[in-house]
Amino acid sequence: MGDTKFCELKPKDRAGVINPIFTCQPAGAQYASIGVKDCTAIVHGGQGCVMFVRLLFGQQFKENFDIASSSLHEDGAVFGATKRVEDAVDVLLMRYPEVKVVPIITTCSTEIIGDDIDGVVTKLNKGLLKQKYAGREVHLIPMHTPSFTGSMITGYDLAVKDFVEHFAKKTEPNGKLNLLTGWVNPGDVTALKHLLAEMQVDATVLFEIENFDSPLMPDKSAVSHGDTTIEDLQGTANAIGTLALNRYEGAQAAQYLKSEFDVPAIIGPTPIGIRNTDIFLKNVSAMTGKPIPRSLVEERGRAVDAIVDLSHMFFADKKVAIYGNPDLVIGLAEFCLDMEMKPVLLLLGDDNPSYKNDPRIKALQENVDYKMEIITNADIMDLESRIKNKEVELDLILGHSKGRWTSIDNGVPMVRVGFPTFDRAGGYRHPVVGYAGAIWLAEQMANTIFTDMEYKRNKEWILNVW
Amino acid sequence: MPYHTFKCSECIPERAMHAVVKGPGEDLTSCLPLGYLNTIPGTISERGCAFCGAKHVIGAPMKDVIHLCHGPVGCTYDTWHTKRYISDNDNNQLKYAWATDVKEKNVVFGAEKLLKKTIIDTFKAQPHLKRMTIYQTCATALIGDDMDAVAREVMEELGDVDIFVCNAPGFGGPSQSGGHHKINIAWVDQKVGTKEPKIESDYVINYVGDYNIQGDAEIMCDYFHRMGIQVLSTFTGNSTFDELATMHRAHLNVLECARSAEYICNELRVRYGIPRLDIDGFGFDLLNESLMKVAMFFGLEEKAQKIIDEENARWRPELDWYARRLKGKRICLWPGGSKLWHWAHVIEEEMGVKVVSVYSKFGHQGDFEKGVARCSEGALAIDDPNELEALEAMEELKPDIILTGMRPGEVAKKIRIPYLNIHAYHNGPYKGYEGWVRLARDLYNAIYSPMYQLAAIDISKDEIPLERGFRSRRMISDVTLSPEEANVEGEHPYTGEYDNVTRLRTKVYPELEAQRAKHQEAAEEVLVPAK
Repeated sequence: MGDTKFCELKPKDRAGVINPIFTCQPAGAQYASIGVKDCTAIVHGGQGCVMFVRLLFGQQFKENFDIASSSLHEDGAVFGATKRVEDAVDVLLMRYPEVKVVPIITTCSTEIIGDDIDGVVTKLNKGLLKQKYAGREVHLIPMHTPSFTGSMITGYDLAVKDFVEHFAKKTEPNGKLNLLTGWVNPGDVTALKHLLAEMQVDATVLFEIENFDSPLMPDKSAVSHGDTTIEDLQGTANAIGTLALNRYEGAQAAQYLKSEFDVPAIIGPTPIGIRNTDIFLKNVSAMTGKPIPRSLVEERGRAVDAIVDLSHMFFADKKVAIYGNPDLVIGLAEFCLDMEMKPVLLLLGDDNPSYKNDPRIKALQENVDYKMEIITNADIMDLESRIKNKEVELDLILGHSKGRWTSIDNGVPMVRVGFPTFDRAGGYRHPVVGYAGAIWLAEQMANTIFTDMEYKRNKEWILNVW
Repeated sequence: MPYHTFKCSECIPERAMHAVVKGPGEDLTSCLPLGYLNTIPGTISERGCAFCGAKHVIGAPMKDVIHLCHGPVGCTYDTWHTKRYISDNDNNQLKYAWATDVKEKNVVFGAEKLLKKTIIDTFKAQPHLKRMTIYQTCATALIGDDMDAVAREVMEELGDVDIFVCNAPGFGGPSQSGGHHKINIAWVDQKVGTKEPKIESDYVINYVGDYNIQGDAEIMCDYFHRMGIQVLSTFTGNSTFDELATMHRAHLNVLECARSAEYICNELRVRYGIPRLDIDGFGFDLLNESLMKVAMFFGLEEKAQKIIDEENARWRPELDWYARRLKGKRICLWPGGSKLWHWAHVIEEEMGVKVVSVYSKFGHQGDFEKGVARCSEGALAIDDPNELEALEAMEELKPDIILTGMRPGEVAKKIRIPYLNIHAYHNGPYKGYEGWVRLARDLYNAIYSPMYQLAAIDISKDEIPLERGFRSRRMISDVTLSPEEANVEGEHPYTGEYDNVTRLRTKVYPELEAQRAKHQEAAEEVLVPAK
């Protein structure tokens, strides 16, 4: 203990990427944009930057989401394409009368050619919106997300901040809590809202995406869309405090609200597992003055009860590799340790320089008593090559569907968790946060290991009695 | 001109000539939409980019190649895991996605060094792969990296690798089609003729414009092999880099998807004198004709006729079983490009459905010429459709099913219209005789899904039958059939296997073996001159 040599934090040592963990910045901004009601983003770039990101969201949720493109073609790439943004805004507004919020999301191409998006927005605000759309509430929000900077994580973080910065307006205190969920699924939002409801806390959730899991209605009325309103975003300046659950997805917005409007902010920890959910509830309690009710003590007890049945019989010392969004990966690793497992390899898919200052990573480095690697700028080949070269021996992988072949080809069972999960049914419906998330994760891990034991005939008889 | 104006697009006059309804007695002279023009920004069009046309559609199905995208990570990530182009070498091309992962400093100072280092590191990380394609993206096209120079340098340094360079940035053209064109020409310019094949038959073809979606190309090659024809390459599904470098030695190019691959056939005709023969691998009658056309070129009519007879006898009764139940069902045939004309009439003739609309995301006017000529009266043809227009068309035309991609399929789902994925397929392959039955089966399963019946019920106000806890597909589909129609002697639902492709990989072809033996003998005679 206390010996830092056990846990190493280092970047990938190969140039380029083989099987990336993340996509690029504009995708993150697009994911934030679909969380806002009456919002359709325009992505300023080639059509693929939208087409395939929409397909990715489609695969994740098995639903369609509308995002527009400025459809950059060769002439625009050569001569500049700001006119195409102007046209896109006009065409979009003409044909979608309900649209009020239009983020204009840049890409690598339009950042390199240097299109002045802020200038276009000023011009449209003074011209088109004043004249043709006089009397209609329209917000154009420039979002600079060049694909060669950061990753989908920073793109999401930046977009959340841009939304808040555009709308937040100090009026009267609203007594609410701002809850910045980070990049989560509808099931997570449901779980978080449940915890807050039990605490009798009223919160503005960024973003309200429960409806991404929308019904198929007999009257054909339902489609999937975000439900965070302009009023919700405006009111963030009047909250009693902000809880940003993730350090890398939403924290910028929390800091903005703090520095601009003196809204107190607590950033993290991501409420994955029992312990981090406990801290989340204590933070909510501290911010609102509301006590943690007995109902949550019972709910917590049910989760602990379920996990105790699993941990020392089945989980103890099981070696786990985890990749995906950084807060998710760290949260899962912490939860695994509480469940007596050994997370041996954590893969963070971008080169964010602040990882080395993350107190959770520092805590791992200071306290882990077995060999653990944390790779930044990592790709899934970092996992695959370590398995193939027998540098790690794994009992379980936790990660999203992009790593499915690493699991399949190497015979290591894998629980699908994170974005995107398209090769298992209904992933988006289940939470990973809160006590409900702890139960779901633990039981998924257990059942996945059980199935693998049976498939491989590896002490499968142990389950003859349980 | 019978142009169709969508209500939702009245406000954008540029859309005026992009949709037509084929009226009575009308033909191409009076009924043809515009095609392949720049997209109108902000319409929420269905189009992708030229990069994806090059990498994702044509390049990536090559099965033993490192497909390295030179650009930020998104281009490779976003086009990964979006198709089902399988291969017989354990699906290498589905499993991996590669990028140089260009960052800001590379954009500022150039990314050629990064490219070179990535190429070398990647070959080192996957030493069993010796072939690579590097794809330009928007970012690296704009900063002007000389990828050809880097590729040449690495090839010289490493010696045992071969690298193909594809310069088709995302912005290069109105849609994916721009990339199809560029990669076709680049391949024939750079690689065709650099390898020599072993000729093993008197009858040698390339099968062009098939990406082996769920095994399509393997199904077609089965027919060719049964005739004793050697397939040098399939462009590009399930083919190796080196096979495709030998395309110049074929006697005939058999072309399937003319939209994406006619360019290379035309170049091979001009440069190497290889004729181009367009065929249709979908539909019984078209396939009968197509196999016979190929056979006639080589004088193999008898062998083709044998296949045609066997396959028709085996599968026709199953097709007819479905056709009887699909009769009159209204479909929107909304593919990317070539299926609009591959399928427009044959699906009506052989399955009895009515094609009420065709659309194409990246088709050219030539595709609409073929598609509109083949589809029947009243069909609505749409070029570069967008979300609202597709919704309006569905509301107006009330199709029983739409044939399209995954995401527009989800749009249709919400208005209770089932969809069939005809890019990646539901349960294909759909090529070949058996494949066409599989398509009919999938159409039937979707249209008569008991779940879609349940979806229409509003339990708050609708009466529901209480006497039975289920409905089978058959109970829904057969109510309009007379007992005689429902039980025609010999007709029955699909009886093939779940996977009808893998077994072909170990199949022995006597006609091809005979050809091989003959050529082997001839080669040995050359090596050992008679005394």
